[in-house]
Amino acid sequence: MRPTTLRMQRNQNLTRMETRVQAGPISVSFMLVVLVALLSLLYLNQVAKATSLNYRVATLETKRAELVAKKEQSRIDAARLKSIAEARQSQVAQAYVPVSNVSYSQR
Amino acid sequence: MQPRHTPSQRHVFGQGQGRLYGLVAILIIPILVIAGRLVQLQVVHAKDYQARATAQQSRKFELPARRGEIYVSDTDGLYPVALNDRQKFLYTDPKLVLDTEKSARELSRVTQIDESKLRGQLNSDTSRYIELKQKIGPEEASAITKLKLPGIILKDRDYRYYPEGALFGHLLGYVNADTKGQYGVEEYFNDQLSGKSGQLKAVTDNQGVPIASQDNVLTEAQNGRGVVLTIDRYLQGVASKALKSAIDANKSPSGSIIIMDPSSGAIKAMVNYPDYDPNAYGAVKAENYSSFVNSAISNQFEPGSGFKAITMAIGLESGKIRADTTFNDTGSTTIGEYTIFNAEKKSFGQVDMSLVIKNSINTGMVFILRTMGGDPNKITKAGKELLYQGIGKFGFGKRTGVELAGEASGRVKDTRAADIDYANMTFGQGIATTSLQMVSAVAAIANGGTLVTPYVADKEVQADGSLKPIIHTPRAEKIISQTNAKEVAQMMIKVVEGGSGYLTRIPGYKIAGKTGTAQVPRADGKGYEDNKNIGSFVGFAPVENPKFVMLVRIDYPQTNTFAERSAVPAFAEVTKELFRYYQIPPTQ
Repeated sequence: MRPTTLRMQRNQNLTRMETRVQAGPISVSFMLVVLVALLSLLYLNQVAKATSLNYRVATLETKRAELVAKKEQSRIDAARLKSIAEARQSQVAQAYVPVSNVSYSQR
Repeated sequence: MQPRHTPSQRHVFGQGQGRLYGLVAILIIPILVIAGRLVQLQVVHAKDYQARATAQQSRKFELPARRGEIYVSDTDGLYPVALNDRQKFLYTDPKLVLDTEKSARELSRVTQIDESKLRGQLNSDTSRYIELKQKIGPEEASAITKLKLPGIILKDRDYRYYPEGALFGHLLGYVNADTKGQYGVEEYFNDQLSGKSGQLKAVTDNQGVPIASQDNVLTEAQNGRGVVLTIDRYLQGVASKALKSAIDANKSPSGSIIIMDPSSGAIKAMVNYPDYDPNAYGAVKAENYSSFVNSAISNQFEPGSGFKAITMAIGLESGKIRADTTFNDTGSTTIGEYTIFNAEKKSFGQVDMSLVIKNSINTGMVFILRTMGGDPNKITKAGKELLYQGIGKFGFGKRTGVELAGEASGRVKDTRAADIDYANMTFGQGIATTSLQMVSAVAAIANGGTLVTPYVADKEVQADGSLKPIIHTPRAEKIISQTNAKEVAQMMIKVVEGGSGYLTRIPGYKIAGKTGTAQVPRADGKGYEDNKNIGSFVGFAPVENPKFVMLVRIDYPQTNTFAERSAVPAFAEVTKELFRYYQIPPTQ
């Protein structure tokens, strides 16, 4: 402790009393085990959370893949339904009348 | 001082020490042996065992690139004509199959594959990869998964789907089982469309399923880049319908129609008959494999009288012939020991060059060859040279360069050929061309004398979906003067207005064209087939500002002998539709 500090704390008790609480080797070991157990629990908890999130991500990815597949299938169906062969067979097309001569307005 | 140990005690201690050493040795020696073995395994042979472990614990997974899609233009934007259809396929690793009988029985029930065939495949010891069934739908896949049969594996695969089926069969080609493009655009652009496969080198679990690990190495796949074609879907449909009508009307086995923009070379439609559905290319029988071929670019034929327009253009360009040059047609002309006649042995007397084209006079064509050579009575080397060079300038004898696989180059005899061969060539016999070459050559007449390169690929579809125009290095080569091109066009108008192309006359429009009824050479090279011909009509419209050049080819028509009846009606049908579609008003 530096002199200035001593001066400022002149009236205080400068002797440190030795604590009576002392941890023996068994207590230290016990506390260490408890600490390790707590850390392990914390770690396990985080791992479980991460796994759970991973599972959710995997589920969402699967869902996304399914939706993409459905979208692709819809594109294929749309293209097929818009094909000329399909259009010619449609009831709407059957009802069409042939084009007669076209008249152009004079410029 | 008393000694620490008595002799007897020392003796006892010595005995104990020996035992102790023995015990220590018994304990240490195995430890040393184990340690030595560990050093051997983990240090000396470390790399070897590491490699073996890696091979067991990790696998390389191929990440297939998605094939680029193919589009055509349509009234409301782009329409996909080749798509990827991701479906599952089923395969087996026979070594992993535990109960062959049960697996075959249950799998057969779900997939409808013959049970005995399945049993044979599951028992196979020749391969660890046998494909069992393709294109498995979601419900069937789910049923297979529920069976939980070891060694029976479902996997995703992209199958090509062509929504227009046979309509675009020849243009597109197809993708075979090895994911390689065959024929057409699929083959020509295979590298661009296929992209580059990626790879995942991953640590796997005991089932071979990859698990997340820092040691995994992922190389992303590069998907293929798509193509937008110049083809107009509507016109393709119109051309296909007209061709099938003509094929039926003429009881013909085959034919083609090509429509091209004469100013740019962009092909708007290209159809052939017989066609095939690329979705079911495997169903084509071996004897019909020729139907895979795009005959418009791959089949060579003698163009016949349609070629007279080319000879006339070459004659005019040589400066030795003018439109008003006349000659006296007696109906035949003699070259050495051979005599060439006009069709149906007609004679027309004194005619100018426009009448030579209008009446399709063979002897008039020979007259042009002779005149180009400087001697009206015989064919000279100089004349042959001029004709040969002119034919070459029009692009015959070499591929046009269109981006379609399997294009033929045609065949033009060089000037060493006999005079009679060159005389025949003037009216389109003894020269082999493709339909596309004819269209390309006539396009040069239509656009004022420039030979353009036909093309089908318009834009490239980038990875982000944006379109990048394909820069064509055009063979825009001026091969005849605009004046001469117009002269030939005027002659071709007369063919439509009063000659063999009269069936395509449409009031109010100027249409130029030339019929061709060509004989078919015999396979043994000795003369021509009897009662077999190829009827064609090549033309363009409107002549003032041509929007399209078109060729109709009908092979071996049974009901109509001449092209004016076999090919011209189809040309007329499509032309009417083109005028309407392009909203071209009449000019007369």
